[in-house]
Amino acid sequence: MQPAPPPAPTPPAARPRWSARSRRDFIVFLALALPNLVLIGTFTYLPLLNNIYYSTLNWTLGSASATVVGLENYVRFFTSADAPKVLGTTAIFTVTTVGGSMVLGLLVAVALNSRVRGTTFARAAVFAPYVLSGVGVGLVWLFIFDPGYGVLSWLLRGLGQQSPQWINNPELSLVMVIIVYVWKNLGYCAVVFLAGLQSLPKDVMEAAALDGAGSFRRFRSISVPLLSPTTFFLLITTMLSSLQAFDLIRIMTPLGSGTSTLIYEAYLQAFGAYNRAGYSAAISVVLFAILLVITVLQLRFVERKVHYS
Amino acid sequence: MAPKPLKLALDRRLFLSLAGMGAGAAALSACGGPSTAAGTGPSETALNFDGVTPAASIDFWSNHPGKSQDVEKDMIARFEAKNPGIKVNLVTAGANYEEIAQKFQTAQAAKSGLPALVVLSDVWWFRYYLNGNIIPLDSLISQLDVKLDDFRTSLVDDYKYDGQQWALPYGRSTPLFYYNKDHFAAAGLPDRAPATWQEFAEWAPKLKATTGAQYAFMHPALAGYAGWTLQNNLWGEGGSWSRDWEVTCDSAESVAALQAAQDSVYKDAWAGVSSKESADDFAAGLASATVSSTGSLIGILKSATFNVGVGFLPGGSKAKTEVCPTGGAGLGIPSGVTPEEQLAAAMFLQFVTEPENTAAFSAATGYMPTRKSADMTAVLAKTPQIKTAMDQLAVTRVQDNARAFLPGADQEMAKAAAKILTQEADVKTTMTELKATLEGLYNTDVKPKLKA
Repeated sequence: MQPAPPPAPTPPAARPRWSARSRRDFIVFLALALPNLVLIGTFTYLPLLNNIYYSTLNWTLGSASATVVGLENYVRFFTSADAPKVLGTTAIFTVTTVGGSMVLGLLVAVALNSRVRGTTFARAAVFAPYVLSGVGVGLVWLFIFDPGYGVLSWLLRGLGQQSPQWINNPELSLVMVIIVYVWKNLGYCAVVFLAGLQSLPKDVMEAAALDGAGSFRRFRSISVPLLSPTTFFLLITTMLSSLQAFDLIRIMTPLGSGTSTLIYEAYLQAFGAYNRAGYSAAISVVLFAILLVITVLQLRFVERKVHYS
Repeated sequence: MAPKPLKLALDRRLFLSLAGMGAGAAALSACGGPSTAAGTGPSETALNFDGVTPAASIDFWSNHPGKSQDVEKDMIARFEAKNPGIKVNLVTAGANYEEIAQKFQTAQAAKSGLPALVVLSDVWWFRYYLNGNIIPLDSLISQLDVKLDDFRTSLVDDYKYDGQQWALPYGRSTPLFYYNKDHFAAAGLPDRAPATWQEFAEWAPKLKATTGAQYAFMHPALAGYAGWTLQNNLWGEGGSWSRDWEVTCDSAESVAALQAAQDSVYKDAWAGVSSKESADDFAAGLASATVSSTGSLIGILKSATFNVGVGFLPGGSKAKTEVCPTGGAGLGIPSGVTPEEQLAAAMFLQFVTEPENTAAFSAATGYMPTRKSADMTAVLAKTPQIKTAMDQLAVTRVQDNARAFLPGADQEMAKAAAKILTQEADVKTTMTELKATLEGLYNTDVKPKLKA
């Protein structure tokens, strides 16, 4: 019996190659995604990288030269007397504007959700400030708050009172800007909450009513928990926009006395009177890091507690 | 059937490609912005414009100080008629000195879009000099035979540094004391500005009692140029923001001067603090008197419905004269444009500062004529109040270095003034804090750039 021939040597494994279909799909993918990727890369990520690079320079805006200082701008910011002030102002502004807009927005939404005459007009009126120009809103409210000849001053004088120095006093300036910011943005929260309220299941409400739950109890125990996706969405969007609020602060308090949030401090340091472009870039990076951490924390922890029906 | 999602496995080749793209982007980001090689500072050498022909078209950036857009257009039209080969494009580059500076600095960073001629205020030109953004004008002044001797000395000397001339005066002003003549008459006061702030403190209760105005005096808006006008209060009491480069805002004299200002608002309660523009508040009848720029004169005369009086700034207990700072804006030529544009800009600069043009500019705005030989007869016949501003020039004083030369000092002074005048903060503590801030600005932003 002939011995069995030795097995033929196995040819080396061919490199896995993309099939023609995969290649075609990839080309289609590139054709569809590349324009957007180029735009996002050019106008978002490249400036972001530029900014991080500038934050390592001692650079006076307008000067053609700069010196590399590493992390000195960050050290300078966090060890300066300005850091607690700016971070504190940012925290106060963000918490009060987010809280104010959401709480008042929810109350307005509840009111608009009732079946009374004129709600269509009321909804439009409540939402209108949100779409107005921040510059125009700021200028009009400055006239209202002006201690000399503003409407508020006129009303207070009628009551025998002097108007507070809303514009010059740094503490009151922050209150003034918060009031106007909440007024301008609560319409957005109200409209989104209203949509949430109108999508709540009616059978649950009716069952609770049959069980004897009053309107406040139904609101507290059913509406608010079921609105958690809406609340979560608003929490993220309003917090991010509050941290980036600029126009009202710029128009109403150009010096930033008492109202210098992180983003406004970054603006003042580079484009205000100081021209410290590198230092300003470092503050911008700090703001970016805070926004990133907040977003990650919210997505990772807060979203778990959100109810999605 | 639902389409199958495209999956891209992260293999070594893809990882290296992405890493390469990331490194490329990082390298690209490092390519923009300033050079980190040896620094460029103020121009060292005199410029030579021999053989240069002026550019056919130049941009002139202005914020139209004193609502001067119409008179600027008129001057441009007459310049173009006289120099048919040069077109001047008037660009509104901001609503105030800060906005125009912001645009100019941004253009410097972008390295494009610079004008050939730019309005620069008293607190901005020096940092342009430090950054090498403007050229010395000496060779152009010599080549074009600009009559430097005919300029008012104090105004032209403001732009001299390191033996060179860095700008020429344009919309130059001083603060003036404005008062409501009708209110003063009703209160039985003389028809003049007070000689000292102490004298006005005696007048103020009478004004409050008889006129019905909210305030006897309105302090200038802090967000404006508080650091500028408060020099008057400081100097009158023997204080100052600084002496040379030594910050003196916390001296006993300076603290006393600002304490008196605070008392006028809180303790004696006859003064208010303007929120936007004290000239507007005064013209609207909110206060019987105020201090504002000479550049506000024409606007006040147009809008006030009462008789307006003007006078020198009051002195104090230590100094009754030379208590008025100069201010306002000059014109400079950027270093980042071509010699042809610089030459054309210098020709236009020479034209707008000629005696008849500075007189026309003064008539339209209330700013002071910058030339000694300017014929102001017609202007003074129409607006005699300008004469007070011109006369006050003889007793002006050069601004404190801390206010004029430290980047951001004006803002810090305004913030400190806000604490004192609107929050009743302790004056000594506030000035001590301000001193530390100003010294920090000097040590980080100015001292390293000054020549030894």
